[in-house]
Amino acid sequence: MKVKVYGADLSAWVAAACLARSGNQVVIEGPDAVQTQPLEEIPAIRDEPGLLDQIEQQISSGRLIRSNDTSEQHSSDIHWLTFQPNERPAAEALVSKLSKTIPHNLLIINQCNFGVGFTDQLQNTLNDENNQAVVYIPDNLQQGKALQGFSQPKRIILGTDSDWALTMTRSLIRPYLENIEHLQVMTAREAEFTKFAVTGMLAIRLGYINELANLADEMNVDIDVIRDGMGADPRIGRHYLSPGCGFGGQNFSDYIARFSDIFEKRGKNSLLKTVISENEVQKELLFRKLWKHYQCNLNGKTVTLWGASFKPGTASIDNAPSLKLIEALLAQNVTVKIHDPEALDNIRSLFGDHPQLHICDNAYQAASLSDALLLVTEWPQYWSPDYDQLLSLMKTPLILDGRNIFDREALELYGFTYIGIGR
Amino acid sequence: MAVNQSPAWKALQFHAADLEQQHLKDMFSANPERFQQFSFSAAHCLLDLSKQRMSSHTLQLLNDLAEQQSLKQKILAMFDGEVVNPSESRPALHTALRQPENNPLSVNGTDVNAEVHRSLAKMEKLVNQIHNQQWRGFDGSPIKSVVNIGVGGSDLGPLMTCRALGQFASEQIRAMDIHFVSSMDGSQLARLLNKLDPASTLFIVSSKSFTTIDTLANANTALEWLINASDVPPEIITQHHFIGVTATPAKAVEWGIPEQNQLHFWDWTGGRYSMWSVIGMAIALQVGYDNFRRFLDGAWAMDCHFKDSALDSNLPVLLALTEVWNINFLNIHAHAVLPYDGRLEHLPAYLEQLEMESNGKSVSLSGEPISYATCPILWGEVGPNAQHAFYQLLHQGTEAVMCDFIAPALRYEDQSEELQKQHQLALANCLAQSRLLALGDSVLEDADSAPAHKRYRGNQPSTTIMLDRLTPESFGALIAMYEHKVYVQSVIWEINPFDQWGVELGKQVATSLLSSFDDTSPDYTAADNTDSSTAGLIRFVQDLRRENS
Repeated sequence: MKVKVYGADLSAWVAAACLARSGNQVVIEGPDAVQTQPLEEIPAIRDEPGLLDQIEQQISSGRLIRSNDTSEQHSSDIHWLTFQPNERPAAEALVSKLSKTIPHNLLIINQCNFGVGFTDQLQNTLNDENNQAVVYIPDNLQQGKALQGFSQPKRIILGTDSDWALTMTRSLIRPYLENIEHLQVMTAREAEFTKFAVTGMLAIRLGYINELANLADEMNVDIDVIRDGMGADPRIGRHYLSPGCGFGGQNFSDYIARFSDIFEKRGKNSLLKTVISENEVQKELLFRKLWKHYQCNLNGKTVTLWGASFKPGTASIDNAPSLKLIEALLAQNVTVKIHDPEALDNIRSLFGDHPQLHICDNAYQAASLSDALLLVTEWPQYWSPDYDQLLSLMKTPLILDGRNIFDREALELYGFTYIGIGR
Repeated sequence: MAVNQSPAWKALQFHAADLEQQHLKDMFSANPERFQQFSFSAAHCLLDLSKQRMSSHTLQLLNDLAEQQSLKQKILAMFDGEVVNPSESRPALHTALRQPENNPLSVNGTDVNAEVHRSLAKMEKLVNQIHNQQWRGFDGSPIKSVVNIGVGGSDLGPLMTCRALGQFASEQIRAMDIHFVSSMDGSQLARLLNKLDPASTLFIVSSKSFTTIDTLANANTALEWLINASDVPPEIITQHHFIGVTATPAKAVEWGIPEQNQLHFWDWTGGRYSMWSVIGMAIALQVGYDNFRRFLDGAWAMDCHFKDSALDSNLPVLLALTEVWNINFLNIHAHAVLPYDGRLEHLPAYLEQLEMESNGKSVSLSGEPISYATCPILWGEVGPNAQHAFYQLLHQGTEAVMCDFIAPALRYEDQSEELQKQHQLALANCLAQSRLLALGDSVLEDADSAPAHKRYRGNQPSTTIMLDRLTPESFGALIAMYEHKVYVQSVIWEINPFDQWGVELGKQVATSLLSSFDDTSPDYTAADNTDSSTAGLIRFVQDLRRENS
């Protein structure tokens, strides 16, 4: 089939790459600047493991074409929308134009986060009798595992009322149904709501376990033990129950914020709003623990951050806890030395050449002469470091473990002071 | 020669004898041009004096009085930093607080302008640190609530301005709570402490001398509250939860506020003229430093107008002379301040201090008792609410009262139609009241036939001050206009508006009585150097405490 993908972020590139790999003829159209930029310089591509290779392969096979030529629209059968939340007018303008240039058999797949009811609004501008239809497919995007999430999903939801659109969409996604456990068709409105509901539920679980961990800190119990006990209950399960120093990421945060707005516009006090604001507080948790440890005076200290990306496996620093920590530390005249396996370029471009921010390519170099090591992102290589070397490098052997990846007893045997979350 | 023996004064007395007989309604019907003749504009303010019981000749004679008193020179003397507060041997340089940067002004060999801007720059830095959520409390939380502890000039001005300009806060800043605590009995503070989170609360302790007992009593309670909540030593609490604003740094250090947490102003800034200095920290926190700067710029625009304009078109001068006319020649001794905009709810309380503490004096600059009236009793309330309270007295009582009606012409421009209608309703009421006060029931066709208790005699004079909009600039100009009005009146009356000796003795007497309320204090008797009333009241308290202990 001929597919045109609109957008410039991760979900656009992933859709384009996967659809091309399955044999479709794909054109990806985004802002001029992105379409002419070398692929390896586009953060969404650079930050996602395997994506650059895949896109290059598909381009060299001829099935994927980058374009900024808007006149080619009518030659595609399927139009795949992955606009940013703030690009709603652009999406509306595009659909309005397509409805005129393709009067019959126009299939639009909407994967944008524009709120509940947006797909219906688009559909209302189209003529369904002539098979002009919009289908909403919530994305399964997980940064770090985005290719797999697209091509081997376990769950798919298709939001549409149109039989014709459903048939066309099923045929388009057939190559990806190998591992499918649940495929459900519902109205577009319900599908949009479901996407929000799932994201919100996960955020609430994270918010709750963080709250429990903070309480555990004060009440002298170990959150790991509590977590095991909770997770053993099948009604609860073990997913999304790891406490930590706050969650981040572009997509996840956008969805939760938007869903919370929906509640608020209806004058409801939203649980999610609390979760969002408490998560912002949680992102500074390691700072607060450090502040208290050093009796409210960090002036002139040197602090190491291990991990900058919002989670392991990605270079993305969108809404990452590391950003709030860096800002808080710099404001207290702390010298910050930061290491991350992937995200240092992003940190460099965000903070520029700050005299007190040292970006270190080597994790141990970042720890040298440090008054504290803050573990912020649980990259695999941090789980079992060379403790002797750390001990000899650091000025004060203090470790604040934002993801509870270290063993307290072992660290204390080595001679470190250990501060975890909820234990 | 006292001013009331001077030729200009006598001429006004003679003129008053004639004008006193005239009713405002007749003046309006005789002269349809009154508004054009008696209204003046400058710096966002329109001053309408046409509802005052004056003729053009009155203004001429008042102008003569001002010239006789060397007003022009006195104005320049104040701006130039000459000693205009002789009882304390100080200049009064509140105008220097809003003068833009790089305008050197030397006082006793110091460039006051440079000092002012150094001090403001330090405040700006602290304000931004707090707004950026990088000022941290004892557990590392960013500050969310700020409590301004101060009294008099350290309270009324900042409180009034925060309420007046609150809408100009950006969304990020609006999340911040600003509270004001002044009363020495702790009732405001006690209520507040129940609601606030200690770790994210910052106290601004504002006291020029840093010995004000009211303020230090509240500050001590706040400090104790934080220590109890935190398990952190006092010196760490004061470092992270207190900012001291003072002209006496050593006293603030003594109380425990480290130098880096202090903002300074100078003995040449009178307390009631101080919100333009770092005493305005709470204002900058509420509305943002940029808007605070706009507020100063608005005042500076009025300063320039006051300094540079001819007396006969000079707003503060005209406002002052009109009131001198009312007070000294028409014998009106009550002054009501009536803003028709709820955002100005604290303006009356502010002006009570500004006017009555400045000009509530009865000794001349040369130390002689004076035999003419000075500052009248001043009070006020948001106009529409006062209509349901004391307007009855204004319309039908036995006292002559002069009124200031204050309103913005435009409001709610980008907001709902209903809100715009509410503003129109307020304006209609504002104009209706001043019209009725001036003209009485002559505004009706057949008023004569009404029974006596339904009659309105009118002839109550009023001034209307209209701002184009209430903005940081126009509000700054409005307040500066009142400050300068007070100064002009003091020049006419030959009194010192910048001291306040009348508030000192009470503090000393209170100190001498304080120990009588200790639990261990012996029974109080009149023999303890007081009068029988004071002794009786102390015994009443002592007895009740013993019964209930």
